Amino acid sequence: MKYDATKIKVLEGLSAVRKRPAMYIGSTGKEGLHQLVYEVVDNSIDEALAGYCTKIVVTIYADESISIEDNGRGIPIDFHETVNLPAVEVVMTRLHAGGKFDHKAYKISGGLHGVGVSVVNALSEFLEAEIYKDGMVYFQRYEKGVTKTELKAGGTTQKTGTKITFKPDGDIFEDTHFSFDVISHRLRELAFLNKGLEIEIMDERSGRRNKFLYQGGIVSFVEFLNKNKNTIHPDPIYLEGERNGVKIQIALQYNDTYNEKLFSFVNTISTKEGGTHLVGFKSALTRCINNYVTKSGLFKNISEKIDGEDVREGLTSVISVMMANPQFEGQTKTKLGNSEIKGIVESLVNEKLGSFLEENPEIAKGILSKVMDAARAREAARRAKELVRKKGGLTEQSLPGKLADCQERDPSRSELFIVEGDSAGGSAKQGRDRKYQAILPLRGKILNVEKTRFDKILASSEIRTIITALGTGIGRDDYDIGKLRYHKVIIMTDADIDGSHIRTLLLTFFYRQMPELVEKGYLYIAQPPLYRIMKGGKEFYMRDEHELNSFLLKRAAEGKVVSTGDGGKNLSKDKLNILIKRLMSYFQCIERLRKRGYEKGLIEALLKAGFLDKEAVRDYEVMVRMQNELQSQGFETLGIERDEVHNMYTLTARQSPNGGLNRINWDLIASGDFQKLGVLIEELKDLNKSPLFIIDDKGSKEVNSKEELLEYLLKEGKKGLTIQRYKGLGEMNPGQLWHTTMDPRWRTLLRIKIEDALEADGTFTVLMGEKVEPRREFIQNKALEVRELYI
Amino acid sequence: MKIKCPICHEITNWEGNPFRPFCSERCKLIDLGEWLTEGYSISEPVLEGEDKEGSEEIISEK
Repeated sequence: MKYDATKIKVLEGLSAVRKRPAMYIGSTGKEGLHQLVYEVVDNSIDEALAGYCTKIVVTIYADESISIEDNGRGIPIDFHETVNLPAVEVVMTRLHAGGKFDHKAYKISGGLHGVGVSVVNALSEFLEAEIYKDGMVYFQRYEKGVTKTELKAGGTTQKTGTKITFKPDGDIFEDTHFSFDVISHRLRELAFLNKGLEIEIMDERSGRRNKFLYQGGIVSFVEFLNKNKNTIHPDPIYLEGERNGVKIQIALQYNDTYNEKLFSFVNTISTKEGGTHLVGFKSALTRCINNYVTKSGLFKNISEKIDGEDVREGLTSVISVMMANPQFEGQTKTKLGNSEIKGIVESLVNEKLGSFLEENPEIAKGILSKVMDAARAREAARRAKELVRKKGGLTEQSLPGKLADCQERDPSRSELFIVEGDSAGGSAKQGRDRKYQAILPLRGKILNVEKTRFDKILASSEIRTIITALGTGIGRDDYDIGKLRYHKVIIMTDADIDGSHIRTLLLTFFYRQMPELVEKGYLYIAQPPLYRIMKGGKEFYMRDEHELNSFLLKRAAEGKVVSTGDGGKNLSKDKLNILIKRLMSYFQCIERLRKRGYEKGLIEALLKAGFLDKEAVRDYEVMVRMQNELQSQGFETLGIERDEVHNMYTLTARQSPNGGLNRINWDLIASGDFQKLGVLIEELKDLNKSPLFIIDDKGSKEVNSKEELLEYLLKEGKKGLTIQRYKGLGEMNPGQLWHTTMDPRWRTLLRIKIEDALEADGTFTVLMGEKVEPRREFIQNKALEVRELYI
Repeated sequence: MKIKCPICHEITNWEGNPFRPFCSERCKLIDLGEWLTEGYSISEPVLEGEDKEGSEEIISEK
């Protein structure tokens, strides 16, 4: 098609532009000033869209004038039929004149509202057009929209194209300073939208220059926007198609942020306010993802419904639509109004994205899990809000009925006991000091999901109750630790497995959702006694077995002397007590090692032979001596292995042919327990003699070993006592509970530190794991220890 | 202190992290959602004789 004067239609004369510039370019501020540049650039883009222009050069000069040069066909210079002027002059001086107003010239065209370059001319101190066409250079100059020189042919040239140089009029614009960054940003956008088009910008004021050329088009645009982000899939997804003469290109890629970045363009004009193309894209995207979730059967257990926001979280996308007659609406006329576009974009995305997801299940899965996370988080936030807002919120007026609050209002002097079970809760309510102690009874909910296992949970109503009682609120917008109503939050549970599980759940909840409670040292664990000892009218309470045994042994030692026989030592009073403590310690270490799978006899044989040096496990000869020693004492040995990585040896031995295997290595020899035994055995060497005599006013008793000595003393200690082992808190009456566990004068509280909470979280993670087998093992081996550690 | 985000298992910092022990607000919210929908449970297999654990025993002697 020949681009000549017949293609330029004259609509009306250039007037009124200088009187009301804002009507034509939006404003006389910074935006309007830069709009002038874009109007001229858009003419060059039109040439590029028509396939005639491959390069645009924008130059800002020191005097704040600017030139835009392209290598297109050059504005027509032949005479226009109706007005008898060269076409270029018509374009420059008549409003609404331009190729784009005649559909015959361009099917698709950029340029804002088509006001065109004549507006730029009208608002410029001067404008000069240089046209390279048919081997000649043509030139014409205008000032404030008025022609100053006739169109003249100057020199000759091989190139084709147009160069427009203009200087905005200082009488019109508040500030005529061009921003390199603003123009450069828009030019980069245009380069992305026009695949293969080279755009250069130079600034003579500062020497700065940029050159943009993207063969990838909007795919490169998305890659650029996602630079330095962790993307969910390596390459942007590209969808493209043409329907009813509308050309649509879409590139999209997810990253791991929570931001949505959508850029939409119509005929390369940025539609900042969106419009029908964007609406179509969004609704198709939501539908595609939901369809895929249903079809694929992934995430079957997820109850959350996926909505548009979930689908667009972390999404970076560019949509470019090319069409004839775009209608722009909205505040800034940057919203596409053509209603038919919604359906066109929608059907294209449904079809193309749908099949992309089907064909790329790995990418689809990555996107889906990101989307599901978004849906879960949104649901959680909604639930948290609901919780807070329900019934006038979590205010003091809505304190739960189960809570027996205290009278004190100063948090630093208030305590909250979270008590396991209603019966213990009842005792605690009766036994407490209501001035400053509040009681909240709580029950773990037990679900028997399968025949083979129980699930213990904190019911959501219980969690709500706890949050209400604490007063802090929960969730993104409503949580404030400053509103905590008690500076001592004390968890009081039974000393059994159930209790330890509820404690673990509570600690994990607080650690994860209210870590400040732990950091500020507000979280405690009550230490109710495990034993009650009665003697005559007196009562004693013992927190655990260790305390009980210490009590019994100390009692037994009273008035007794342990003698190692003729010429030996006689131990009594303080010396005997110290010795007994060491003896207890000795058996505790042995017991802990036994739990790790080491036999007592073997440990004692090693200790006796003096294999205490950790470095022994690095020395093959020492290991051989150890092996011989064990053999001579009747142990079966199964060889020495070398650990190449650590340069260490492991000797495997067992007490009897069917006995468990003992692996003697660094883990054993260097362990705290084994090393401590080494010290203790030296301190206890007096007791290695046999027999030992225990003498008191009733006579003398003979025992043959340390074990027998301890056993005898424990038995003696129990004489005349009734010892009760508590099954749960509920067995204590209010007075006992107060006295042993709640009364600040006598009680012991364990303050939870971050490390403790971290450990509880770890325990929790293991206990709630999916696989039953490792968990069973964990419960059998570790849960008991966990319980003993009060975690 | 370096910690592992309980939800996505990414290594993250305790100090200066407003969402600790999580890596992000997102993970913290997901966790909260689980608590509020009773999604967290401690499971234990039903073991024979387990219920004897912690039962009352009276040890008494003259």
